[in-house]
Amino acid sequence: MTRVFEGVRVLELGSGAAGPVATRYLAEHGARVIRIESARAPDFLRILWLTPESRFGLDGSPMFHLLNPDKESLAVNLREPEGVALVERLALEWADVVSENFAPGPMERWGLDAASLRRERPELICVSACLFGQTGSQRSYPGFGGQGSAISGFNHLTGWPDREAIGPAHTITDSLSPRFVALAITAALLERRRTGRGRTIDLSQIEAAVYCQSEVLARYTANGEVVTRRGNADDHTCPHGVYPCAGEDRWIAIAVYDDAQWRALRSALGEPPPGWASGAQLEALSGRLAARDALDAGLAAWTRGFEPQPLMERLQAAGVPAGVVQSEPDLLADPQLAHRGHWVPTEHPHLGTLLVERAGFRLSDAESGFSRPGPLLGEHTDAILRELLGLDHAKIARLRENGVLE
Amino acid sequence: MLSGLRVLDLCDESGQLAGRILGDLGADVIAVEPPGGKALRHRGPWLGGQPGIERGVAWHALNASKRSVRLDPDAPADRARLESLVATADVWLDTPAPGARAAQGLDPAGLRARHPRLVVCAITPFGLDGPWSRYRAGDLIAVALGGNMGLTGDPDRAPLRCTMPTAYYHAAPEAALGVTMALYAREESGRGQIVDVSLHETQLQTQLSFPAQYPIKKQGARRAGPRIGRTREIWRAADGYVSFGLRGGPTRVKNLIATVELMDECGAAPDWLRDYDWAHYNHNTLADAEIARLEEAFGAFFATRTMRELYEQALVRRILLAPCNDAREIAEHRQLRERELFATVELPELGSSLELPDFFAKTEDGAIRVRRRAPRLGEHEREVFAELEGREGPAA
Repeated sequence: MTRVFEGVRVLELGSGAAGPVATRYLAEHGARVIRIESARAPDFLRILWLTPESRFGLDGSPMFHLLNPDKESLAVNLREPEGVALVERLALEWADVVSENFAPGPMERWGLDAASLRRERPELICVSACLFGQTGSQRSYPGFGGQGSAISGFNHLTGWPDREAIGPAHTITDSLSPRFVALAITAALLERRRTGRGRTIDLSQIEAAVYCQSEVLARYTANGEVVTRRGNADDHTCPHGVYPCAGEDRWIAIAVYDDAQWRALRSALGEPPPGWASGAQLEALSGRLAARDALDAGLAAWTRGFEPQPLMERLQAAGVPAGVVQSEPDLLADPQLAHRGHWVPTEHPHLGTLLVERAGFRLSDAESGFSRPGPLLGEHTDAILRELLGLDHAKIARLRENGVLE
Repeated sequence: MLSGLRVLDLCDESGQLAGRILGDLGADVIAVEPPGGKALRHRGPWLGGQPGIERGVAWHALNASKRSVRLDPDAPADRARLESLVATADVWLDTPAPGARAAQGLDPAGLRARHPRLVVCAITPFGLDGPWSRYRAGDLIAVALGGNMGLTGDPDRAPLRCTMPTAYYHAAPEAALGVTMALYAREESGRGQIVDVSLHETQLQTQLSFPAQYPIKKQGARRAGPRIGRTREIWRAADGYVSFGLRGGPTRVKNLIATVELMDECGAAPDWLRDYDWAHYNHNTLADAEIARLEEAFGAFFATRTMRELYEQALVRRILLAPCNDAREIAEHRQLRERELFATVELPELGSSLELPDFFAKTEDGAIRVRRRAPRLGEHEREVFAELEGREGPAA
């Protein structure tokens, strides 16, 4: 078996999650990804949560190394024209794909924007993935994922109806948009393999997230309905909620999608079923929805007597969809993730073992995975310049002396 | 970008966005429906409030850019026709219940054995094998087991999902990505393969590898409602909510200073805040009382201004503040309008129309866009089956 992207070359500029997580999918499947980096303007993930006593400077932040496995790092000063020229040579002589997620501006200033590069090399695939896209009056807005999650509607849709919007944990534009960036790149690579043409792709992280909200937009534009947050309630599923279990802050999610699952749940409650679960009207969804509060209260009182894991196993064995609300340590011990090889142990020279994450899909006939965590800053500078651009030791030394290399 | 490629979409609601994505990329996506139509057709809300299998709003949102045929794999004549259709397809996209398709020979292994060039994508709750592979789950369960739920919600109440099914939103582009990778590999190998997508595993990435940092930090995150850690992220405005962080860091402190300037110009900055020592600001080391004092000052200002007023100022002053938009506010957001994100889908025969986000990325030539409105049940049988008969020769 080979890797899908064996031989594919990706040049990456930018920072954070939205761009780098996208190219992680490509690296996982065999692409060679070179990150252009700088010590003067480092990826903010390289300094995230570093404490003053951290001894490893820009190489000591776990998050950067978890999000950038199997990539190479070229550290170059892009304020120096010679530095820009090195990157331009890599783009024009080496890369299949140039992927970046700066707010609009720097790529044009360096002459590394899609229009400039593809004028020289039309078959190049250039992808930009900033918050708001390359056009429009708000394109330069300097937001992070927190702003993306708010603008794309996910905050409004998460929370209790009687309280403020809160949004899904972490920043959903940072998890949705990389998949679409990787997809756009892969579709362009497929198209190029079939037709020979290159592509310029202008992805807005917010638009990719709004695209996922198609149903919410359709409900508003067709019927004027403004969908709002409803806790865990659902109009088509009942019971549908999250219930307390034995232990501190332990919970189980239970969802009854059809009448057969309701009968299975009722049997699991014991014979005869408790009063709150009895009655012919509960056989149909409409009856259960009418009794939603009573069902939620009855279930919550019942689940409290169980540890979450055995209760999930018992309900699933009975045919009732149920799942533990897993904590971070639970996820590291999750048997299904372990079976799929989700956590890949890699060895970092300063941080020890780092568990790099795989994508959520597996290909049956292709190798994939990771062998090392994200690179040290500039770890591959000399090798890249020597092997890919043919620079000799003297030239590299001179560039370093002149502050072009970092 | 995927023109000339054919996808058969057998998915239920949990996978229908994946087919839409492939259709918007230019593939010929055919929804293969049971005789009575897919389940999502039977679910409201309805266009104009009138029930009907052509009127489900969610159906229209997730099934644009597709054609429709009715085929019942359990009816022998349909089964044969389906097999002929599979022979013309590049991708089989399905959300099979555990073991459900094996009797019909339409499980991934069976399909692959008969159609070696076919890419077979199965979107399932936990993947095709493993200890939980026979467990049942929808969005709520996947979000719970995937870890995002435990960190979402208020500390004094149960953990939460988003009211819309984000597990499906994450799995769909990942399924489309896996399919496209398999098609790319097939250009060279000549062979298809199985793309095994797990709703549960695709949820993990919502946490940006925080769980993997647990062994290092020895401390898990907790639900904090409208806060991230100790500081508030969601604030009440006069007419809704805005997102704004009190966190520090070189970029973020600049934005706190700009906010205080705005408050000052509005006569709403107390003296102590005007003279605040931002050079040494670190939200991690502030005393609780100091956080409360800052929150009260910023909060009192935001509560007197509308979301739009605050956002207009944020744009000018480069403040990291954004409105918590609802559907109407998304539809009216100026930047999205300027980029022409929304396409109007006319439904004259239903006396209705709606707008959909037209693309997830822009290309020079609009290669990614909604190709057609969602199909009526069986709408394309005549053209699809005529093409099959043309291939098979006249019926015996």
